[in-house]
Amino acid sequence: MARTALALDTAGRRWSLIAAAVCLLPLLLQLPMPLPLVIAGAGAIAAGMASRRAAPGWLRTVLALAVFGLVLAQGGMNFGRDTGCALLAGMLAIKPSELRTVRDARSLLGFALFAPFATFLLDQGPLSLVLGLVGAVLVLAALARVSEQESGLPAAGVRHATRIGIVARLIAIGLPLALAAFWLFPRLATPLWGIPDLSTARPGLSDEMSPGDWIDLIADDTPAMRVTFRGAEPSTRGMYWRGPTLTQYDGRTWTASQWLRSLPPATVEHGAPTWDYEIALEPTERNLLVALEMPLAFPDGMRAAHEYTLTSERRLDRVTRWQLRSAPPTRFEADLPDSLRRLALQLPEDFNPRTRALAQRWRAETADDGALVDRALAWIRSDFAYTLDTPLPGRHAVDEFLFDYRAGFCEHFSSAFAVLMREAGIPSRVVTGYTGGTRNRFGNYWIVRRMDAHAWNEVWLEGRGWVRVDPTAAVAPERIYDTLEDRLGADAGGGALPMADLGDWARRAWNDFVLGFDAARQQRMLQRIGFENIDTGGLAALFSLCAALALGWMLWLVARTERERDPLLRAWHRLGHQYARLGLARERHEPAIAWAERVRAARPHEAALVALTHRFVAARYAPSASDATLVRALRAHRPSRETAR
Amino acid sequence: MPAFADLRRRVESWARPRRPEVLPARLDRRRIYILPTGFGAFVTALLATMAIGALNYNNNPALLLCLLLVGAALASLLWTQLQLSGLEIRAVHGEPVAAGTPMPLHVHVEAAPGRERRGLRVVIGDSAALLSLGESGGEATVALPTVRRGWLTSPRLRISTTRPLGLARAWSWVWPTTRFLVYPTPEASGPPLPEGGGDEAQARLNPAGEELHHLRDWRSGDAPRTIAWKASARRNTLIVREFERPQGDDLTLDWQRLGALDPESKIRRLARWVDEAEREAVRYRLQLPGQPVIGPDRGAAHRHACLRALALLPDAG
Repeated sequence: MARTALALDTAGRRWSLIAAAVCLLPLLLQLPMPLPLVIAGAGAIAAGMASRRAAPGWLRTVLALAVFGLVLAQGGMNFGRDTGCALLAGMLAIKPSELRTVRDARSLLGFALFAPFATFLLDQGPLSLVLGLVGAVLVLAALARVSEQESGLPAAGVRHATRIGIVARLIAIGLPLALAAFWLFPRLATPLWGIPDLSTARPGLSDEMSPGDWIDLIADDTPAMRVTFRGAEPSTRGMYWRGPTLTQYDGRTWTASQWLRSLPPATVEHGAPTWDYEIALEPTERNLLVALEMPLAFPDGMRAAHEYTLTSERRLDRVTRWQLRSAPPTRFEADLPDSLRRLALQLPEDFNPRTRALAQRWRAETADDGALVDRALAWIRSDFAYTLDTPLPGRHAVDEFLFDYRAGFCEHFSSAFAVLMREAGIPSRVVTGYTGGTRNRFGNYWIVRRMDAHAWNEVWLEGRGWVRVDPTAAVAPERIYDTLEDRLGADAGGGALPMADLGDWARRAWNDFVLGFDAARQQRMLQRIGFENIDTGGLAALFSLCAALALGWMLWLVARTERERDPLLRAWHRLGHQYARLGLARERHEPAIAWAERVRAARPHEAALVALTHRFVAARYAPSASDATLVRALRAHRPSRETAR
Repeated sequence: MPAFADLRRRVESWARPRRPEVLPARLDRRRIYILPTGFGAFVTALLATMAIGALNYNNNPALLLCLLLVGAALASLLWTQLQLSGLEIRAVHGEPVAAGTPMPLHVHVEAAPGRERRGLRVVIGDSAALLSLGESGGEATVALPTVRRGWLTSPRLRISTTRPLGLARAWSWVWPTTRFLVYPTPEASGPPLPEGGGDEAQARLNPAGEELHHLRDWRSGDAPRTIAWKASARRNTLIVREFERPQGDDLTLDWQRLGALDPESKIRRLARWVDEAEREAVRYRLQLPGQPVIGPDRGAAHRHACLRALALLPDAG
């Protein structure tokens, strides 16, 4: 058809390129260097080339192969979600090389809409969201321009602002429907297919820990989770958010025991008080969860290993929320079976001879395990320092730390302490998680950041079971318990912090109502407005009702401009409609008074109509004769009940 | 694809209006049709893919983006439909043309103010024109193909738009009862105008040089003696002299005198002679069988009267 080959004009071309570029931008920001630079460069080349004439096919193929190869090389040949997104970005960048016709522009713009979608799979931060939205608006505006050209309108005929205005209006009109669908559309409780992994993961809590590898994490002040307490709150010093427990040690790295994972949770006697709280966990792309120790019960979808390492049944790819109840343990696995005891004493051979010697000396001098722990803590408190500036460990990492540097951070302290205890015959292990948190003064919740990540120890003592020991706290309690405000200095950030709090509070609201919205949250929202236990059918009905209302609203909004603006004429037309229903519509050519007389001829009781019509004509054609009550009189008028006999 | 074209014709025959209507005609929702364009189908598939993906990954920003786009797309459908709704086709008129040349058809459209209506298309067959309405309405001129002389009933006009996003095309048919007059096709070449009535012989014998009016290209049927040989030699093509005719010498274009030609050829020749007589500013009368003589006169109205009479002569067959 001739229409599909319609060549794209300059305005349409410019709009299409800008829209595609803005859509591509958030995706590029998520990709690791140097991919964004290369893809942006390829895009610029493609767009530049095609502005003169269509790029030759071989050149496009070469560009595509180059980008494809680079993406695969960058991703280390493993094909993850980010690799797929990078490929999409590359293809989108090369697409403008064939931007010649209206049809090309439309396929480019349709394709461009996938870029924000792909970005959201990688990142749901505010920047990505804003850029994605702007990109979508620009795509619609570009479509509007292309459609104008197709209709034959010149580019100069419509101003850019008008075009954006049209798109904004379309979105505003569609918004109620979109929101109704968003909050009421039945959600999938379980996905149909899984989301592919990122091929490069971010640091975070994991099933293993090598002293020194948390440096990146400790510098990362993005939130890890937000916690809302109902009722009692623990003190900041009591906020140990328990994550993975690491039992196996190979001389360098602590790892979680898969065997312990398979055992049922150990017996715990809980003390007082109990805390009720909700955790909103930021996505980690792993299954690991944290909880204030020790949880009393586990919500659906969460399971605990023997040593209370908490995992989720589904990977945490988005904001998830967990209702929990915890209490401090009084006796935690008071009876330790031999097999578990051996595991908690296991050490690699031929490592750390100086530590072994020290532990054996202390063992000989101290009979009581508790006293030995206190002695070790006292030593650490007096002789050690806290620093993030640590050298790379050698073969005997614990020896080097305990006897040479005597400075490090939580990973070093907990690792060395566990080794020291095991050498002395006391079962011990490393626990990772978070400590402390910052209260948000607007939302009355606690925010735990990734920089609050911490590692501490548990030692098993006769009669008491596992007991928490935090050697780092012995050295640098301020590093662990202090709030962000303390670290920055109360006066330094006095003005900025409320703003930061407000920002985070807004972010949490967004998390609540948009990012973390799922089937369960949908149920809760409906319960709050009075729909108890609504099933899928009911939900569908409710959705249909709201969608119909929204559609009606859309129709009304779009049709509304047709309304007569002059109230006098509006009232007059209204009156005319009433007679039209009686088959006495005014003809187009018929003057008002002639019509009124005709109506009276047919219906002898319509004297009032004739009088009103005279008033109307006077008001309309002799504007000096102002008639304040006429509009009301016209509105009040009804055709007389009696008809012609 | 004849089967497809046949189906299309059948579907179109169901569309309203099903018979010609008296103008003005007002477009309302009962006669506005709307269907997605190819691009609209593409976008639908795209949004469906996005929605399924977003629901599966429970990725709410993606879902929200997708739903916003769906909302905007639906709003654009309403907008498209409302571009046509409330349009009033006030009049359609065509300027008479000779059969075979496309007739410019002026479509006058009005609408209540308050809604911007631009970039509509008025389509007849393969011919389309842009229609943009201002405060006082608008007009589009489409070319209507003509085949034969006589009355041409108005075809169904299609008014359509794909604005604002090109996702759907809304269209409405208008089928006015208006008839358009198509003049006969003038003969391409043939004998020149007959000489003035009564003293034909005298005029022939008097090809005086000083009465020469102008030279024109030779047409078959020109007498050899009227050829200007010298001028022809210079221009390498045959040129004939045309002579000034004395004023007041009325010309009679008589059907009866055309001899044994078939009626359609006679009509075409007379049509050409009417045009030539007008060009030469001669008063002429037209004598058709069984009709009163038209004229003598000259000017646009007279020409129209003559050509109309010729156009409306009954078919020979």
